[in-house]
Amino acid sequence: MTLLEFSRGTMLHIALIVFVFGVLWRLVTTFMLGWRKRKSEWRTSAGQSAVKGAIAVGNRSWPHPEFLNRTAFGEAVGYGYHIGLFAIVLLGAPHVVFWKNLFGINASWWPTIPSGIISVVSVVTIFLLLIATIRRYMPPPLRRISNFDDWFTLVILFTLMITGVMAVFGIGGRYELILAAHIIAFNVLLIWFPFSKLMHAFYILPARFFIGYTHAKKGAST
Amino acid sequence: MNTATQTYSGKAAPEDRLSPSEREERAMAEFAHHFGAYTATNLESCIHCGMCADACHYYIATEDPKYTPILKAEPFKQAYRRESGAFAPFFKLFGLKKKVTTEQLEEWQELLFDSCSQCGRCSLICPMGIEVAEMIEIGRRGMAAAGLAPKPLMDRAKHQAETGQPEESDRPYSEVLQDIARDHDLNVALDKDKADILLCLPRTDLEQNPESVAAMIKIFNKLGVSYTFRSDALIAENYGYYAGSRGLQKRITKRITDAAKKLGAKLVIVPECGHAYTALRWQAAEILGEELPFRVRHVTEFLAEQLEAGKLKLSKVNGESFAFHDPCQLVRKGGIMDAPRQLMDAMGVNLLEMHNKKGFSFCCGGGGGVNDLDSARELRSRAQQLKLREIDDTGAKRFLTSCSDCRVSFNEAGEHYDWNKKTESLIELVATQIKE
Amino acid sequence: MSTSNRKERPTIGQIMDENGVGRRRFLKYCAGITALMAMPPGMTAAFAQQLRAARRPTVIYMPFQECTGCLESLTRSFAPSLESLIFETISLDYNHTLQAAAGHAAEEARHEAMKEAWGEYILICDGSIPTKLDGIYGASAGHSFVDQLHEAAEGAAAIVAVGVCASYGGVGAAYPNPTGAVGVSDIIKNKPIINVPGCPPIPEVMTGTLVSFLASGVPELDKHLRPKAFFGNTIHDRCYRRRFYDTGLFAESFDDEGARNGWCLYKLGCRGPTTYNACATIKWNGGTSWPVESGHGCLGCSEPDFWDQGGFYEPVTSKLFNDTGQIAGAAAAGVAVGAAAALAANRRKKKLSGQVDKETSS
Repeated sequence: MTLLEFSRGTMLHIALIVFVFGVLWRLVTTFMLGWRKRKSEWRTSAGQSAVKGAIAVGNRSWPHPEFLNRTAFGEAVGYGYHIGLFAIVLLGAPHVVFWKNLFGINASWWPTIPSGIISVVSVVTIFLLLIATIRRYMPPPLRRISNFDDWFTLVILFTLMITGVMAVFGIGGRYELILAAHIIAFNVLLIWFPFSKLMHAFYILPARFFIGYTHAKKGAST
Repeated sequence: MNTATQTYSGKAAPEDRLSPSEREERAMAEFAHHFGAYTATNLESCIHCGMCADACHYYIATEDPKYTPILKAEPFKQAYRRESGAFAPFFKLFGLKKKVTTEQLEEWQELLFDSCSQCGRCSLICPMGIEVAEMIEIGRRGMAAAGLAPKPLMDRAKHQAETGQPEESDRPYSEVLQDIARDHDLNVALDKDKADILLCLPRTDLEQNPESVAAMIKIFNKLGVSYTFRSDALIAENYGYYAGSRGLQKRITKRITDAAKKLGAKLVIVPECGHAYTALRWQAAEILGEELPFRVRHVTEFLAEQLEAGKLKLSKVNGESFAFHDPCQLVRKGGIMDAPRQLMDAMGVNLLEMHNKKGFSFCCGGGGGVNDLDSARELRSRAQQLKLREIDDTGAKRFLTSCSDCRVSFNEAGEHYDWNKKTESLIELVATQIKE
Repeated sequence: MSTSNRKERPTIGQIMDENGVGRRRFLKYCAGITALMAMPPGMTAAFAQQLRAARRPTVIYMPFQECTGCLESLTRSFAPSLESLIFETISLDYNHTLQAAAGHAAEEARHEAMKEAWGEYILICDGSIPTKLDGIYGASAGHSFVDQLHEAAEGAAAIVAVGVCASYGGVGAAYPNPTGAVGVSDIIKNKPIINVPGCPPIPEVMTGTLVSFLASGVPELDKHLRPKAFFGNTIHDRCYRRRFYDTGLFAESFDDEGARNGWCLYKLGCRGPTTYNACATIKWNGGTSWPVESGHGCLGCSEPDFWDQGGFYEPVTSKLFNDTGQIAGAAAAGVAVGAAAALAANRRKKKLSGQVDKETSS
């Protein structure tokens, strides 16, 4: 068995099993830890609050202008690499083909972006991730609250990004090995996902909803 | 010089002689009380982006990373990860999250009390939508349970739970109230057996701002509503909330709710005091575990309703410019956004808004019990400087707020920085502008 | 005895002369070969000289579990016809497909030739070697292929495995590989082996490899023992459709506009990116065309296990596992374990918080 076969065969299968198992484990536990029944007199009905909660899920993506003078740079970098990652992962032709094959769908409507543009986006994204890493190390608050989770996640992301770019540009070794390394890094990401901060991809929805909902009930700022 | 380096070992209340392991057990017990799906979602969501630091006035004023809000919640988070989270058994088994120790709690005392005014600004900046302030509040509750809440807060909470007032006073506060009424030629409804409205007062105002007390009496007399003060439930503050003790907060809350029930009151009015509003409006029903048979309103909220109903008529002030400080507990966390502005509008106040207004207003620097901590004095004044600058930047001649605790903080800051403004009460202004 | 015999053999140069092949034509041929192998132009003269000096070698061609496709390809190598001439000049002493003799006579001829050139001959193999059940799946003249290979390899100077089957097992080794088929290099470990994989290999690559071996011995090989000169680049790297990949223009099906416009076949399963071969540069049928040019993606036939890399019309990154509900099972298990963890946590919460709740309720 070649490394490439292993990476997209056995290892991918195991990674997906771990991912699905771990993500559901963590989410199900979280939501089954019991709910408080609140008894205060609310300003806003439950229905309306739920609507505001749903709005908060989207709204929180847009920072309040009051904070921007201090956070604009961090927001821009964060936004930048998130958009970059999503563009590459969801619109890069090889990735689209991968997803279609993985999910067994024939989504002919799924658009792709020319790989030339993806390459530029990739390099920019790596650069932004680098800035994000430096920021995590440089400004004291970030460094103070960073732990293994943050650093290891960054290591995986860098490996993933760099092997991806190497595969596209054909540098650093034989394509199938680089591709295998790229897929292995992705598998490691899948396995690491449920146990790490990457879970924010799921938690972001309920967390934002809850703050929108509970604050709306009190009429407080969201 | 840096308050941050102080340690608080042994600073707990003297009668509190718990062994370290007892403290740990009690803190854990309190933390466990707060475990649940809601707190779990909040704790699981943190991406360590550090943005909450940029919302916190203590961090902005000092740039000291330990004031990063989410870091203040660490003991609770740690307890959660170890005992309640999805992978808790592994965190415990492999020691990935250490047990919350007494030393750690002692280290966190400063972070949870001196450097957090419970203002809730961090909850607004969090891109994940984490209720950071509430997580910190739970941290405080664990500290109180472990007997590690700062002595000034805990002593007052205990005293208030026992006697109804946080500290000994020369005379009972009901007498003080009557004196103030007499001094202002006002009739005051005190200790009536039946009334629609129960009024409370900030102890601070009774001691330091008799004009404010008089304003309350004058306004409610003028409105001609059925109200009363009760000497057994006069003080609005709740030091149990400041200290983080659920038990004491509940006992203090019960004084007011029991009195209101006995009166058959339909409404309890919280005076110009921010945290009293949080304690009574949003936490009383939760901490008592029952729905309250009366409504709770802040005095500005109530007056705005009266204004709208045409029962309150106000005359215009001369065109002087005012700045207004939005008290965190009333506005950002309490949801009273418009009431103070409706009142000011009715009085023709030329309001010059601050850069950070309404829900985004910076804390006065002394809320959440910070005013009562001598150990927090230096940090407090650095944060206050930030606020004073914003007020000055509006160019306003006069300065208003509607929280007596904020007033205490601004008065202290004014003295410290030789500030050219006096902090005035919105209610006092309303009282002077009320039409005969 | 064998050495003296060898010396009597004419050199390739002598044979060329006898057949009236001029020096100019021979040089031209050598220039062609060296160009194919991407040698510097200055090497051509030296290469020609070495090749002329090489003595006519003895070649034993052993077919195993094969389809004769490789031999078909080899014998159909087009111009320069000189190549076929060279193969006529080599002493192809045994190939039971081509030779007139059969049965015991053929076997005898082989043993004779081997004995004569012991330690000197080149062994060419095609077809995979079945190893299961002591190699019973493939035998001729009463001997299993495994035994035959061992025997023939022992006296060989070098072995050239022609075709992907002889190189890596090929289709015979495809899942579930019922005969236990393997390539030559899986069995023979103590001889120089050159793999010339493909299904079939490009004729020019086969002859080029042989000629270069004659001229200068075992060429530089990659980790799969393929001559780097021919297998140094991927199809994708040299593909004339590469620019469409780079600009993101893909055929989505074999009858869409992209296919008609000759866009990249990546999405239709082309194995170009992971396949090392010279198809994109040498092409087939004397440089006429090659699979991608004819509109079909590369199958990756020069790669080990190419048969088991997912469907030929699935892209190179496609999943290579058959999930028979394991992931759904993991989901169910995740929910169950999550629920159990929550119940345990809630019990723990009750136990931990018991004390303080009693206190506050008092």
